[in-house]
Amino acid sequence: MPAVERKPENIVELIWPGHRSEQVTLETTGKSGGAGEIFAIDSKPGFVAKIYHATTSQAHLTEYRRKIQWMVDNKPALPQVPAEYQDIVQLAWPEALILRQSCFVGFAMQKIAFDRTLELDYLLNRRQAAQEGFAADYGKLVTASFNLASLISCLHDKRIAIVDLKPMNVKVYKAELYVSILDCDGFHIATDEFRSDAPQVTPEYLAPEFQDKAVAHPEAQDRFALATIIFRLLNYGIHPFTGVAADHHNHPPELAGRIKQGLYPYGKVAHKSVRKVPASVHEAFPDRLRELFDRAFASSGYSRPSAHEWVGVLGVYASKHCGQMSPCSKGHLRFSGRPCPTCMRDELIRGAEVRRRSFLARAQTAPARTLQYLKKTLRQTHSSPFQAALAQAQFTLVQLAPPAPISTRNAIALEILWISGLLITYWWTR
Amino acid sequence: MSPVTATALWVLPLLIAWFWRPRQAASPSAWILLIAFGALGAWALWFGLYAHAGEPAGFAFWKPTVLYWTVAAILIVAPLLGWGYPAKIILGTYFALSNREWRWINRGFATVYTILGGANLLVASEASNGDWVGFKYSCMMNLLIMVLFRLNFVWLPILADVSIHLYRRATAACRYLSTLF
Repeated sequence: MPAVERKPENIVELIWPGHRSEQVTLETTGKSGGAGEIFAIDSKPGFVAKIYHATTSQAHLTEYRRKIQWMVDNKPALPQVPAEYQDIVQLAWPEALILRQSCFVGFAMQKIAFDRTLELDYLLNRRQAAQEGFAADYGKLVTASFNLASLISCLHDKRIAIVDLKPMNVKVYKAELYVSILDCDGFHIATDEFRSDAPQVTPEYLAPEFQDKAVAHPEAQDRFALATIIFRLLNYGIHPFTGVAADHHNHPPELAGRIKQGLYPYGKVAHKSVRKVPASVHEAFPDRLRELFDRAFASSGYSRPSAHEWVGVLGVYASKHCGQMSPCSKGHLRFSGRPCPTCMRDELIRGAEVRRRSFLARAQTAPARTLQYLKKTLRQTHSSPFQAALAQAQFTLVQLAPPAPISTRNAIALEILWISGLLITYWWTR
Repeated sequence: MSPVTATALWVLPLLIAWFWRPRQAASPSAWILLIAFGALGAWALWFGLYAHAGEPAGFAFWKPTVLYWTVAAILIVAPLLGWGYPAKIILGTYFALSNREWRWINRGFATVYTILGGANLLVASEASNGDWVGFKYSCMMNLLIMVLFRLNFVWLPILADVSIHLYRRATAACRYLSTLF
């Protein structure tokens, strides 16, 4: 480890629960976010420090201090993990206040091992996940979804809501499949003794009733975002409000607008004005899951399934003992009694690939085939009667009468009368 | 333009039409259209070229309606009296359609002209003068469509016939002249 430069501004004081203090030195990591910068702590390898940017106003710092102090003193009970996984960090929860020259500047939190985790965002794309060393299958995805729902359920029990819940804020342990939620200092807290709002939102994960509005019911918002993340995890990253217009209406191009209009095409009852994207495998999900998705996306507020309900349903599939997931003939895990979503997806992709190749082949041979067609037309050697008839243009829709049995002079005389009629019409109408 | 020139401009084509007219009998629907357009044309010529006092005041708003409803009346009445389908005369006899098809085309024309006549009065009474003028000219789109139709199916073949005839005459004249020199 390189020698730490002990600049005065890097020497800070950690205030642990119970007001135990400790002087430490911070080391730059180069990682920075919207609110603050992440530092390593020299004598605490299992912790990192988040120091708010120097531009943060005093009023905001005061508000942050109140919130962090409450969070340090009230760490929620998290889902139990087996003893061998005790080093897993499920929440980047503030563990200690950080003071510099007696002024609040940030907080310390447990360090998430980035080499053992990957962003949940990566799981939405199997190829990206594989590049990160994670071979995704439905067993792992269901387990990760279950763990996420469990974690959120624990937070909701404590009346804590995430609000800005999105895949980028969630990390997944590659081997253990537990999840970690980042940016905990942005959570919404509404306990009897303390309250703090969470103004940050992401429109793609924001419930329809809160689009363009403040989030009035944070737990309802979390329920929507959780359902959206689970849907995307299980459906190859397809957002539940991505679809194809089925009528002549112009649907909003951005997801936020589609969420606001409730354009959810993956319900058990098809939506009238929007169709599913062809690559979706939602039909391979069991009915219990589909009903939960329908409730999450076609209803509003607290009628959406809670994190606890998700835990109940996903737990059955995440547990090996229940036998609710079984391998298909090709060895992929699938929901028992349902078609294999992996095979379904492979088939859809293969079909698209075959069509693409066929199109390319036809496009490449088009000039030669056109030339051949023209040669046959000129030589009148079309073998197919249909093509021969087409080449001879025998498909006139309106039959013209044979030439009128009148001379050109007679025709000119009639046309003079006709043009006169036209001029009179023009004269009367102008 | 002097009155003599103006008169020559409409009299000469009519004279040509008279001398080159087909000798076979015309259908009653053709006659009734000819009479109606003759009357409307006479009115237009009289007030356009000769009666300098102009048409009765306020009649301008009625003129398109008079035309449309006259044509509509002919289109409706002629088949009822067994005089054939005037639409056949308007559109030309160059399409081999069945009587049933002509009947429906005739009804379509009658409907369009009836609606146009009513719409003209409605727009004239309800909309501003500028809007009415705009509406009136936009109705001329149907004239344009008919002209394009006629140009494609009738006038171009006639032009081709005339061109071939003139070409033959010119080559014959050239041959005759070459024998002289």
